[in-house]
Amino acid sequence: MTKGNTCGIAGAGIMGRLTGYLLAKKGWRVTLFDDGDLAATGSTSYAAAGMIAPYCELEYAEPVVARLGNPSLAMWQKLLPQIGGDVYCQAAGSLVISHPQDRAELMRLVRKMDEHTGDLVMQRVEGAGLRELEPDLDDAFMDGLYLPLEGQIDSRRLLVVLGEWLQKYATLNLGVHVRSVDDGRIDTAIGGFDFDMALDMRGLKGKTQLPALRGVRGELVWVHAPEVRLNRPVRMMHPRYPIYVVPRPGGQFILGATAIDDEDLSPISVRGTLELLSAAYAMHSGFSEGRVIETITQCRPAFPNNLPRIRHGGRLIRVNGLYRHGYLFSPKMAELVISLMEGGKPDAAFAELYEGHS
Amino acid sequence: MWRLGGKELSSRFFIGTARYASPDIMRQAIEASGAEVVTVSLRRYGSGKWDSNAFLNLLKEMKLHILPNTAGCYSVKDACTVARMAREVFGTDWIKLEVIGDDYNLQPDPFGTVEAAKILIKEGFEVFPYMTDDLVFAERLLDAGCKVLMPWAAPIGSGRGLANPHALKTFRSRFKDIPCIIDAGLGKPSHAAAAMEMGFDGVLLNTAVSLARDSVAMARAFAMAIEAGHKGYQAGLMPEREFATPSTPVVGTPFWHQEKK
Repeated sequence: MTKGNTCGIAGAGIMGRLTGYLLAKKGWRVTLFDDGDLAATGSTSYAAAGMIAPYCELEYAEPVVARLGNPSLAMWQKLLPQIGGDVYCQAAGSLVISHPQDRAELMRLVRKMDEHTGDLVMQRVEGAGLRELEPDLDDAFMDGLYLPLEGQIDSRRLLVVLGEWLQKYATLNLGVHVRSVDDGRIDTAIGGFDFDMALDMRGLKGKTQLPALRGVRGELVWVHAPEVRLNRPVRMMHPRYPIYVVPRPGGQFILGATAIDDEDLSPISVRGTLELLSAAYAMHSGFSEGRVIETITQCRPAFPNNLPRIRHGGRLIRVNGLYRHGYLFSPKMAELVISLMEGGKPDAAFAELYEGHS
Repeated sequence: MWRLGGKELSSRFFIGTARYASPDIMRQAIEASGAEVVTVSLRRYGSGKWDSNAFLNLLKEMKLHILPNTAGCYSVKDACTVARMAREVFGTDWIKLEVIGDDYNLQPDPFGTVEAAKILIKEGFEVFPYMTDDLVFAERLLDAGCKVLMPWAAPIGSGRGLANPHALKTFRSRFKDIPCIIDAGLGKPSHAAAAMEMGFDGVLLNTAVSLARDSVAMARAFAMAIEAGHKGYQAGLMPEREFATPSTPVVGTPFWHQEKK
């Protein structure tokens, strides 16, 4: 396929918006459909904390997650200035800490990282080294891991900036429900549309056409705590749940996230709230005077192996199952999808992600 | 084949369903373990929409005996409520009763466990109580009507193995006619083999498999260890001795080979 061809994208979360942006830049005529709004309120992408932490995620994921996420931070750093809109991006690494009694959990992560062969850079930090990175961290934390190649982006700002860009240089149909996506065709509440290529990037909303998808509930809390100073995302090991605190400009912090295998969008549970807030408080007592400004519940779309999938056939590509890694995976995933659209072969380095390619 | 709680089983491996890298890996690990009984916590799936829960449906499809547990319950009332919910959801009277007394090491509350066991047994449940190796605790559970005992080897998820082998040996010999299953604390296949060599009827574990680098291979390794330990127990382990004794009789050995060097 060549430039000037039309592409319809169902779903305007981070995957749909970023792919739409990249295709439009390459000269495709792009049309997006989504029942959400410009900010993507209520989507999984909106709920996310925007961490770019491919190595931390090794705790509960297969090595391909790190390989897929590895180029992500550099790709975002290159892309964001091009997209414009001054999207906050931090590349100050991330820190993983544990209470002395949970050291075994930290050691387990170290072992998993040691086994990973890639560009992983990990530094063990103790005592003074840890204080140097995060001077305000509670004294109870004696050692941790510093992962200098990790970072975070302001995911909500990015969604808006991409949305505005697409409104200008593509067609972004918001508030439009997508019924189905088939070979070169997107059927919506405002009619059916034909394209040279149809992309189904609807997340859980695409479940009717991808029945293996399931929702994994996650809960997050936004806190405004101007007393607390953290220089980078900090993840805390715990025998039963990993918890991270992501600092954002203006004294805001995102505390996340639980992972409950249930497709449940009801408000945050008391237990979830307690777990997140008590972990943050243990990290830094300054959180006690913080203000809870928002709580979020959302379901991440996941396949049974918790890995994303690219299903390709004819004039249709479905991309789904990005699970808890929307911002981590989308740059590389978009690249893989666009390569297929331009007649390329599936990337052998990620063979396990492709399905039905002929 | 052996019988437990009114069911015929061939495997002595009971496996947990928490903390796998993905549902796919969990399914493969369970298959590799050969386990016929899986334990699952309802607490973790809190919305009440059980029928549409993809994870629970996957377990149901695997055609295993489901042993629901009351993990995360700290009171008698809580544990009983979760047990009744589990009976509805899975259509089984089996319940692995956990009443936690200590938040950090997840040690059972003996008083609450006995009280909950009494209530649930009256309601027709087959109670599998999670407990320590305390003999009095065990006696009280048997008085309450439990027909199975599940002492821990060490705290849940600790991977420390048989923390007090002497207590477990005593436990086994005291309750020799009661099915006893080691529940929690095992980290290595050799731990499971050691428990089975003591004559325990089965082993329940989760973390050692789910958090292994290769959960599927580890499930297989534990299955082999459990079988080896059990076979060893059945075959009759030789008694330990203080000194070396030659396994070949010295009679008939040329005297120059018997000479001290």
